[in-house]
Amino acid sequence: MDIIALGAESTLYRLQHWNRVLAVKWRRKKQYLLPAIDASLRRARTTRECKMLTVVRSLGVRTPAVYSLDLDECSITMDFINGIQLKQFIEREALPEATRFCKEFGDILARLHEAGIVHGDPTTSNLIVDEHSRLWFIDFGLSETNASVEMKGVDIHLVRRALETTHWDVQNELLQSFLEGYKSRSGTDAEPVLARMDEIRERGRYH
Amino acid sequence: MTTICLGIEGTAHSFGAGVVSSDGEVLSNIWDMLSPDEGGIHPREASRHHADLGPNLIKTAVESAAIRFSDIDIVAFSRGPGLGPCLRTTATIARALSLSLGVPLVGVNHCVAHIEIGCLESGFTDPVTVYVSGGNTQVIAFAGGRFRTFGETLDIAIGNMLDVLGRSLGMGFPAGPPIEREALRGRTYLSLPYSVKGMDLSYSGMLTAARRLHEEGNPIQDICFSVQETAFGMLGEIAERALAHTKKKELLLTGGVARNNRLSELLEGVSERHEVRYHRVSPSLAGDQGAMIAWNGILSYNAGNRLEIQDSHVLPRWRTDEQDIDWRV
Repeated sequence: MDIIALGAESTLYRLQHWNRVLAVKWRRKKQYLLPAIDASLRRARTTRECKMLTVVRSLGVRTPAVYSLDLDECSITMDFINGIQLKQFIEREALPEATRFCKEFGDILARLHEAGIVHGDPTTSNLIVDEHSRLWFIDFGLSETNASVEMKGVDIHLVRRALETTHWDVQNELLQSFLEGYKSRSGTDAEPVLARMDEIRERGRYH
Repeated sequence: MTTICLGIEGTAHSFGAGVVSSDGEVLSNIWDMLSPDEGGIHPREASRHHADLGPNLIKTAVESAAIRFSDIDIVAFSRGPGLGPCLRTTATIARALSLSLGVPLVGVNHCVAHIEIGCLESGFTDPVTVYVSGGNTQVIAFAGGRFRTFGETLDIAIGNMLDVLGRSLGMGFPAGPPIEREALRGRTYLSLPYSVKGMDLSYSGMLTAARRLHEEGNPIQDICFSVQETAFGMLGEIAERALAHTKKKELLLTGGVARNNRLSELLEGVSERHEVRYHRVSPSLAGDQGAMIAWNGILSYNAGNRLEIQDSHVLPRWRTDEQDIDWRV
């Protein structure tokens, strides 16, 4: 097994099995957390991710298929998506290509929200552009169901935050495309969510 | 040639004056914090506190730096973000000093000043900073010419959360220290909502649940222990996410809540997991004080920034990422 990525939340491995390339996502213990908190978070996020990868696929969004789950180790074995993160894609490719995918990103997130689901960490690192220029959505450990307007507002706020910290030089163009895609699917449902996003942005700071 | 800067801080309930030289030497750093007998901070009362005590604190800062007012080359002040009345009082004092001494005025972003004084003390050049205080909970890093907020609280600041909880538990203000002492005696972890969203976090749900635990008669030490483990664990996690995302090699803890030993221990654990350097800013430079304003004033002045009196209005909602960090480019 080769390590593909060492993230904050997990270590990602690639392995060959059944003549396929698979990915193993392993949520390792965090020594700095209280063991009781760590254990419940790892387990809850692993099961949630496993479930949501399937639920979200039923909405017509590409997600890797899950093969197996190890609840003691908190690891998931799933399809390996051969491609690059949308984050890297934006950094490498011309702006029109990047905005096209951001618009699709908006459409995808709107599909989730329509179904009452928030992703919880919708950054450009959690979308993969594959070799056929198709977009995949990954990393559902922080996702939640029965989402309120507040939760959806937070989700979009996180998109905006990710664009401004990671793609600051083209953040306005990317956000505009994202919102275009989001609004064209959500229609009038988008209004209260976007109004909430602006409100959330101003909270947490004292005036 | 050495430049001497007088820095004046007054964004919230503390007023501070500090004198720093362009060699990075803190010559003096004096402050006073308004602590009401009960309840929270009223902006108007805080601004009156600054107006009443400010002039004498400045005089004391200059005297204990063993300089004269005529040795001051720059006057820097906290221009924002913060409470409007407090900022305006502080700015008025700074303008008057700048005019009467005939020296340039420099406006400083309070949050950026916390980071820069932390870098001065630690020798760090490009950290991920966890800035935690009564009014702020932010994870900040430098990217594309600015300090950008990678994560922050979606509702209340951690210091505020601890103070409100402390009030329910019958503790005085600030409640951070008694909560930390009680937590040391806590043994049983009581489950509390853990709310991390991306690199942001939320404390209001946890606060409500913790107050309910108290009403249900759970031991105060267990509540404090559980609150610390949950609230600091969330901070550790978003700090870790920011480190993994930015790939930076330094982690800095600053702000008034940086005094908490358990929080520092937890973030040190994060730094070990990611093999990055760690530094907790010492108490005298971690809270709100004038030395950080003075040091940032020098950095900004050396990059050519000056503020004309007529343009020196305060910026209560000044976002961290709205300032060009021209001294780092």
